Amino acid sequence: MTKIDRRKFMKAAAATTGAVAAVSTMGTQAFAADSTIRHFWWGNPSRDKRTFGVIEVFNKKHADIEVIGETLSFPDYFAKLTTQVAGGNMPDVIQQGYGVLFEYVDNGALKPLDEFVGKSLDISNIDKSALAAGTVNGKLYAVSIGANSHMALYNTRLYDEAGITFDPFGWTYDDVKTIGVEISKTAGDGVYGTDDNTANYQNFSDFVGQKGVVMFNPDTGDYQVTPELVEEYWSMWTAIREAGATPPGKASAGLIKPPMAEWGVVTGQTATSYAWSNQLVGAQGLVQDKLGTAMYPNTPAMTPGSIVQPSQFICLTRDTVDGVAATTYMSAFVNDTDMTAILGLERGIPANPDVRAALAPNLSEAEAASVAFFSGIQGKTATLPPPPPSGSNEIEQTFERIATGILLGQDSIPEAAANFIRQAGFIRRRAG
Amino acid sequence: MKKFFAKNGPGYFFLIPWFIGFFCLALGPILYSLYLSFTKYNIFKPPKWIGLENYEFMFLYDDRFWKSLEVTFSYVFMSVPGKLIFALAVAMLLNKGMRAIGFYRALFYLPSILGGSIAVAILWKQLFEYNGVINTLLAKIGIEGPYWLNDPNYSLYTLVMLGMWQFGSPMLIFIAGLRAIPRELYEAAEIDAASKWKQFYAITLPLLAPVIFFNLVLQMIDAFKTFSSAFIISGGAGAPLDSLNFITVYLYNEAFAFYRMGYASSLAWILMLIIAIFTGVAFFSSRYWVHYENERD
Repeated sequence: MTKIDRRKFMKAAAATTGAVAAVSTMGTQAFAADSTIRHFWWGNPSRDKRTFGVIEVFNKKHADIEVIGETLSFPDYFAKLTTQVAGGNMPDVIQQGYGVLFEYVDNGALKPLDEFVGKSLDISNIDKSALAAGTVNGKLYAVSIGANSHMALYNTRLYDEAGITFDPFGWTYDDVKTIGVEISKTAGDGVYGTDDNTANYQNFSDFVGQKGVVMFNPDTGDYQVTPELVEEYWSMWTAIREAGATPPGKASAGLIKPPMAEWGVVTGQTATSYAWSNQLVGAQGLVQDKLGTAMYPNTPAMTPGSIVQPSQFICLTRDTVDGVAATTYMSAFVNDTDMTAILGLERGIPANPDVRAALAPNLSEAEAASVAFFSGIQGKTATLPPPPPSGSNEIEQTFERIATGILLGQDSIPEAAANFIRQAGFIRRRAG
Repeated sequence: MKKFFAKNGPGYFFLIPWFIGFFCLALGPILYSLYLSFTKYNIFKPPKWIGLENYEFMFLYDDRFWKSLEVTFSYVFMSVPGKLIFALAVAMLLNKGMRAIGFYRALFYLPSILGGSIAVAILWKQLFEYNGVINTLLAKIGIEGPYWLNDPNYSLYTLVMLGMWQFGSPMLIFIAGLRAIPRELYEAAEIDAASKWKQFYAITLPLLAPVIFFNLVLQMIDAFKTFSSAFIISGGAGAPLDSLNFITVYLYNEAFAFYRMGYASSLAWILMLIIAIFTGVAFFSSRYWVHYENERD
């Protein structure tokens, strides 16, 4: 009891101190602004620096609006946002992901943007697909600030040394196994070909699509994956592991959804890791060798399983004090090329073609690689499903937990698969 | 009444700051969480009264709850006695009156100050990694260490060790307790040729009983509430295989990852009840093994 209260308090205190510190580094405002807008996002040091830079530019251009930035890491972000929802003091502008957007809209925490469109909010130049992704029940709730897709990252030096050539936009799980085994042999002691994706839900969700299954029923929200499918996925990765392409299962059991610094390709324990495309720039910054990019592996049938989705949105909250000022800022965030130049591709590929064109001449090597990756996957991705229903986050955590038992060799695959599907169904019923 | 205040007045006087904090800040949220424990509350929408449903689900259907109890109890029953024995042993060593005693006392107390911090939990995690310091040392004497943190058979022990390592505050209290035992008793025992061991259990233990009791209650309550270290070392999710899913970690996730504030509140109240019961049992049993020197009746 008291523990949680104290923790909440400490968190809020820490966050406030952080925000105050962040604001104070931006220097004091010369003019008193008519309207103060709070913008809250989850980030990393590089993103935070860029975003505070953007805010500074905006505040200089708009003397009547003062934007204040607040930032936390991803898990803390949602814990804090949750308490703000409960307290009715969410910031004006928040960052959202595709996974939880629906939950926030469904519960009335976000404000539709339609009344501002064409006035304070200019979306005339934003890709139609990006707008569609931010539209729920016919109303626009979210503007995409970067597109994203699943991306495998590999260490080009280790691949070259093993003499590997492969099609990065059409490799199979069998390729992953043979390549992985080859690299485990050539790369020396304690280095393996690939991370073990047994507990990787991103890879699993791709696999479900590759098998032609839609994960959630669009109407009822039922979890439509069968135990057989789960069993096939786990057996496949178990075979890859047993062939020697991955580190031992017990080692991988400690790397469930690891932070970037613990990815195999970053620590050097493996030659291949599986991530999101907008993480390439960050990961390359941590690795000496050049990273190559590939899609997630597929089955020989090559049915698309990866999707291109908006990695992040900016949204207007129910608690906003000045919707016009807030949407003016949001509009500039996706259209103003002075501001987007600072952001670069750090949040993903921008949804505005003019912004992309303006960035093109000044891309770093890793940024150029992620643009090339996006041209490479054209026509090889699946259509974007509707946002997942409530409970999807918990299903993901349950998958990871049960898969840990497979990695440790403690549970039989068919039993674990049946258990997972039973629990997933139960989670959906409880959420409904 | 008058007599009561004459006797206890100063005590209550010194408790005033605590009372102010409790009544002005803590009591409201505590009662509100009791209310929430009978509701379904996902934060976005107002709480909805569902009676005993949360408790019913918890006891009848929630396997993860039972597992979290098992983890929490195992931790308490291993770490508290271990810590107290360790603290008492070190306190007796330090009570011998050696040189630079203050330095050692500060040194041994240090982990207690650091132990609750996030940084130490992270450090601990690194020590027990497969390629970490512990396994490197074990390898030097020919033992192949396990995957301490990834293997549910070992993960809890790493946390128990972290808990025991923070023996500083009970140790200080033990030292004070040992100092209060009159020397003459030991001198008399020496003359009667009592062995060291006999002196320990015939003099030290009985006279130290009130201090042991105090430390026991304090450490037990603390152990039940363990959160930060478990949260950090288990990657926030109680992994691997729920072997570190302490009830506190579980209720945190229910509240802040899955938005079930109502259910999380009911878990918190169960934890509260458990702590109350165990404290009560300790107090009740103390009549039989704790005797105070200045007891009048």
